[in-house]
Formats: sequence, structure tokens, C-alpha cells
Amino acid sequence: MRESAARERREKLKLFLTNWQGVFGLILVLLFFASAIFAPWIAPYDPNAIDIPARLSKPSAIHLAGTDQLGRDTFSRILYGGRVALKIAAIGVSVSLVVGLLLGMIAGFGPRWLDNLLLLVFDTVRAFPTVILALATVALTGPSLAVVLAIVIVTSIPSYARIARTAALSLRNTDFIMAERSLGAGLGRILWHHVTPNVMGPLLILGAMDVPVIVTVEAGLSFLGLGVLPPTASWGTILNEGYLVIRDTPWMVIAGGIPLILTTLGFTFLGEALRDVFDPRMGRGR
Amino acid sequence: MKRLTTTRRHFLATTGALGAVGLVGGVPSMLRAQEGKVLRIRLDGDNNVLDPGYMVGGTEVEAQLQCLPFLAEYVREGDTFTWRPSQYVTKLEQRDPTHIDFELVDGLAWSNGYGTLKASDVAYSYNRMKTSDWSGYFDALETVEVTGDLTGTIVLNQAFAPFIMVTLCHGPGAIVCEKAVEDAGGRFTTDFPAICGPYTYSATPGQRVVFERNPEWTGPLPDFDRIEGNVITEVKASELAYEAGELDCTELGADTMARYQGAMPDNTAITTAGQLQYMWLGMNTEHEKLKDIKVRQAIQHAVDVDSILAGAYSNTTAKSHGIICPGLLGHRTESSYSYDPAKAKALLDEAGASGLELTLRTLNNQERMLAAQIIQANLAAIGITVTVLPVDSGPFWEMGIEEKGDTWKELELWLMRYGTVPDPYEATQWFVSDQVGIWNWERWTDEEFDRLYKEGIAETDGAKRADIYLRMQQIMEDTGAYVWINHEPEAYAHRADITINAAPSGELNYRRFNLA
Repeated sequence: MRESAARERREKLKLFLTNWQGVFGLILVLLFFASAIFAPWIAPYDPNAIDIPARLSKPSAIHLAGTDQLGRDTFSRILYGGRVALKIAAIGVSVSLVVGLLLGMIAGFGPRWLDNLLLLVFDTVRAFPTVILALATVALTGPSLAVVLAIVIVTSIPSYARIARTAALSLRNTDFIMAERSLGAGLGRILWHHVTPNVMGPLLILGAMDVPVIVTVEAGLSFLGLGVLPPTASWGTILNEGYLVIRDTPWMVIAGGIPLILTTLGFTFLGEALRDVFDPRMGRGR
Repeated sequence: MKRLTTTRRHFLATTGALGAVGLVGGVPSMLRAQEGKVLRIRLDGDNNVLDPGYMVGGTEVEAQLQCLPFLAEYVREGDTFTWRPSQYVTKLEQRDPTHIDFELVDGLAWSNGYGTLKASDVAYSYNRMKTSDWSGYFDALETVEVTGDLTGTIVLNQAFAPFIMVTLCHGPGAIVCEKAVEDAGGRFTTDFPAICGPYTYSATPGQRVVFERNPEWTGPLPDFDRIEGNVITEVKASELAYEAGELDCTELGADTMARYQGAMPDNTAITTAGQLQYMWLGMNTEHEKLKDIKVRQAIQHAVDVDSILAGAYSNTTAKSHGIICPGLLGHRTESSYSYDPAKAKALLDEAGASGLELTLRTLNNQERMLAAQIIQANLAAIGITVTVLPVDSGPFWEMGIEEKGDTWKELELWLMRYGTVPDPYEATQWFVSDQVGIWNWERWTDEEFDRLYKEGIAETDGAKRADIYLRMQQIMEDTGAYVWINHEPEAYAHRADITINAAPSGELNYRRFNLA
């Protein structure tokens, strides 16, 4: 038994490693994490250090990605911007995943009326466009990173909850759950030991695929001036400032756009590859 | 039967590739739409109050110029401005220093069935202005005597030569329809109760304002049939729209002006209205954190204005030392403080203010945000933590006004720019005691300032007037509530075949645009 599980794991790892998209994605994702976490050590400059005489310089050995209108080093700002993106993505995805999982299982295993009520709430939230919700909230509270985070969490919970609920419903009347019940297992034990492991796989893959969405939501809101407050660097604010000087120098837009593209590609490839490997119900190449 | 083998990923890859090819291969050439004679311009925000008595100004004045009667209008002669009687009068004459006679053109109809323009409308309009938010423009007005249906006399309480230039040509000189305004409850906001001008007015908030030919208008016809004013807050977006051929005229930001002067785009000309803007960093003297004048003086010494001019304005603007703009009587060429972080730190220590945290509110546009971030860095250097809060134009212009909410209580720092007219008295009127809670957001009062304000209007000797305005700016500076920043030129790029018409303070008058 133990041996076959180990063999299966090895096979899956091999399968993953032969998937070039998956490996490429994994490398990009690792790069994203590393650059964000080690930004204070990698960044050649203080991201907020103003140097007016050097404003809008082109990429060079001194400033790898050029400088912005206040002469701040764009490369350093991108590295620090990655921290904002990582923070939002990590906290956003994990909180909404845990809350979504809990609510989904409650809906799946709970009484019918509670299920209906929760479904209504999920669908209502999902039906509301994220950016419009963000615009309205920011108009009331003023821009801040906390607001962006709250919006990301609120709008992502329903998709996790929906998946958890469906999985829980399909498991509810399976034989092994019945057997567990007849042995006197409590609801908590059933959910924790039997349902969660079955739901976690798809949820984690969904979480990986959600990261780029959340990163772009944060960038989008910051682009609109609704996210981080100046002088904090975010990929969105770098893009916005770059767009304002695009006729003078295109470098800021390019420098701000590349990490967004790479992060999106990385997480999407990784997520797709993980699904190919770990989700036996899905055939390859869809 | 052959199975369809396209997978989702194939589909994504193919459409992605096709999109990329499309971008490379065929950037559609943007052509200037020329249906009828349509003028497409940019408005920097929605018009919230069209009523001349309670407006913010700017594009609201532009709308008034199209839809409401005026007695006089600006004429530009080279670099100087004078005035002439408008299309609404057959006579506008200064009989003696305190009497201005006017006679209106007969038969100019108000819309919505409110009859024709009468001398009583002029009297009503100007008398109500004396108690409005813009009453400063009418301090010299005694009354308007109606001598006939179409004739009347504007009586001044003292000789005040700039009255026609400053008041009658500018937005506050707009004439409203007495009956229509009374029917509307004495005040109006986003729509005119009755218009009398070449264009009708309709607005879609957040999108555009459209002026179309007024079928009831019997006066001289303007060149354009229709004017579309697109609400574009960010000047950069407006410049891109202009370069893409989507606009015929746009205001120019500082760095774009520098770029255009180097390489002018095709079929483009630049018209500069004037440098009648003054920008400053304001401080609320009543706020708990800023009550101590030493703290305010510390901020005056901590801000490096030269860096702001270089970093945010590409050195295209003139450094400011007060509210009186270059070229006007009483313009200052230096301030009594200068950039000195060490002195700033010492003042702050003297005040015993440590760990000070302040909020700096600014309009959310490029130059102001850059300026705000430089100030943020400057103040951080002396130990003041500044949060920069970008604010949209609607709430921004209401922040310090008491009747518009409670924001004025929590205002700490803000970046502000006012426009003015070619006479120094106009700029000073916003800072008298009566304006506290209206436009004097710094909330200080000074008896000498109030007295000098009145003397400045009455004084006829140029040199003495200049001294008065110099002294008034010194009083303002001594409150510690101001860090003077710059005087921005109001410059417009437009198609070379259009001649535009701009007031010295920058407001456009579309009805006087000419098409070659």
C-alpha cells in the first residue's frame, strides 16, 4: 500500500517534470516569490529615493530599468512592487480559500435552508463586478491596501465555496461517509478527515490559477489610483506613471508590464500543469 | 464525421497569436472626424454648479459664456488683454469713474418661454451676486439702475477702473433670467433655468457636455454647429486623445508643452492664455496639529520648491512667491523664507512636535501627484510623515467649504491652484475674513488684510496699489499657512486651422472659436 502510493507520487512528479509548461511556470513562480521576498537585498536603490536630475533616464548599467519622473530607480520599484503583489495574493488567496472551504462544506453538509441561503449570498457577490465594487468602496473609505485586500477576499470566497460545496455534496452520500457515520463519527471528524482531503486538490489548483487574477486586480486598482498610496510602488502605479510619460519614454510601461505578464503566465502554466497531473478525471490537452 | 479537435488551449493560443499579428500588421489609421462643423474639446471635470453666484469656476464659466448673456468680453492685443462690448449690447460706456451705461440688444429671447433679455435681468443678476460666494467681484458695485426696458446704469460706490475687465468679462458677470431663476428657487446647479446664447446646454455626468445651436438665438452665429466637451480629468489622457485625432483642442501639461516646443505635431498650433494661475501648499491654521505657527514655518522651510518645478513641471513654469501672478501689479519676486531643512528641523524641535503625521490632499493628476510626492519626501527628511491622498475633482473642490460637509475640519495640508484675472485685487478677495469656510481654507483672519483689501480696490495710484498688494502677500506668508509653488501657464494645443479664444485666466469661449 505504502509502496504503491510512493510509486504513484514518483510517477506524478515525473509527469510534471516532463511537462515543459509546468516547469517553466514553476520557475517563473519561484522567481516571483524570490524577487519579492529578497527585494530589500536585491534592489540596488531605495525604491522611494528621489533623484530629480536623473529623471526619466533610459535603462543603463546604473539604472537597470531606467528611472521614473522623480528619478526613482524603476527596477527597485518593480522588486518592491512585487512585495505588494505577493502580499495581496498570498493573504487574499489563503484567507478566501480557508473561508470558502469552510462555508462551502457548511453549505454542502448543513441543512437545506442554510445551503440555499449561502448559495444566494455567493451568487449575489459573484454577480457584482469586482472593479465596480472596488470603485464604490474606495469612494466611501478612501484608497488603501487594506481595502484592496478586503475586496479581493470578498469577491474570491464564493468561487472556492462553490467548489467545496459541490464536492461536499457529492461526497455526502457516498458509502465510505455512510460507513464512517454508522461507526459514530461526528460531523467535524467527517469534514476534517474525509471531505477536506478530497476537496483540497482542486481548490489548491484553483488558488494557483487565481493568483494572477488577484495580482492584476491589485495592479488595476492601483493603476486607477484606488490601491496603494504614494510613494509605495506597485506594478499598477508603475504602469500608470509609465503611461503618463509614454510619449517621452516607453521604458516604464515595459518595465511595469513585464512582471505582470510573467506572473500571469507562470501561475497559469503551473496551475494547468498541476491539474493535468493531479486531476485524473481530466484528460490531457483541454 | 470528422471530430472537431480544437481544445481550449489551442483556441487561446490561436486567438492570442492572431491578436498579436493584428496589432503589428494593422494599426488602424486615426482620421479626424469632420461631420458638419463639430468642435471636440476636453473638459477637466463635470460642471457641478452653473450658477455664477455659487460655481467653482473653470469649465463652468465656459458653459456660462455659451449660454448666458454678458455685457463685455475680453479682446487680446498681442500679449495684453483689453475689453469690448459684447454681442448682447449696443452700448457699454463708462460715463464717469463710477457710472457705466449700457443698452441691451432688442429681442434676444430667453429659452423656455421666459420672454426677452431686459435691463431688469442685469440688475437682478448683479444685485444677487453681492450676497453670493463670488461677492468679492462686486465689492465695488453700488447698484444697477434700470432706466428703460433695455437700458440701465451700473453705479459703483467708488472709482474702480478694473470693474469691466475683471467682473463684467468674467464668469461672475454672467446675466441670468430673473423670472426663470426665481421660478427655480433663487439658485440653480447643473442646468440653466433659461438660456440666451448661441448654444443650448446638455450634460451627461462623467462623460460629456454637448452644446448645440440654439434655434431661438437671433444674434450673430458662431462658426461651429456643435461642440462636444468630453470630460477627461487627466490631462495626459486628453493629450493622447488629441494626438489620436479624437479632440480638436486640449490643454497641455508642462512636460508635453516642452516636448511640443521641440517637435510640433502635424497641423497643430499652441495658444498660451496667460500665466494667471497660482499654486501653493496650503495648511489649515485651525487644525490641532498645525495650530503652532512654528510647525507651519518649519514646513515652509522644508519644501524644496525648485525640485517640484524640475520634477513635476519640467521647468516650464515660473516659481511663485505669492498669489499675484507675473505681469500684474504687486507681483513678488522673492519670499521671506527659503528651502532650509536644517532651519525647518530646528523650528520643529522648538515647537516640540515629534512624530508628526499629516495628510496631504491633492487632485489626482500627474503633476500634482508628483509634487505631492516630492513634498512627502521633503517633509520626511525633517521627521514629518505625510500620507498623500489623491482626491477626485468633485470632492476636492468641496473639501474646505463648510456647507459641503465636514471635511474642512480634518483638512491638514493640500495642494491648491486658483486662476485669476488681470487685476491683483481678484486673487486677494479669497483670503479675507468673510471667505473663511468658503475659499479661505487656511482659515486665518487678519484685520489689516481686510482693510488693505478695501484700500486696494479704492486706490487709483499704481505704485501705492502695488505696495498694498505686496504687503497683503507678506501678511499671508507670515501666517505660515502657505508654501508658494508656481504660476502655471495655461496653454492649449489645437488644430492649426482653428483659432481659439481664451480668457487671460484660461477659460475658453467656444462661440468665439474661428474655423479657417
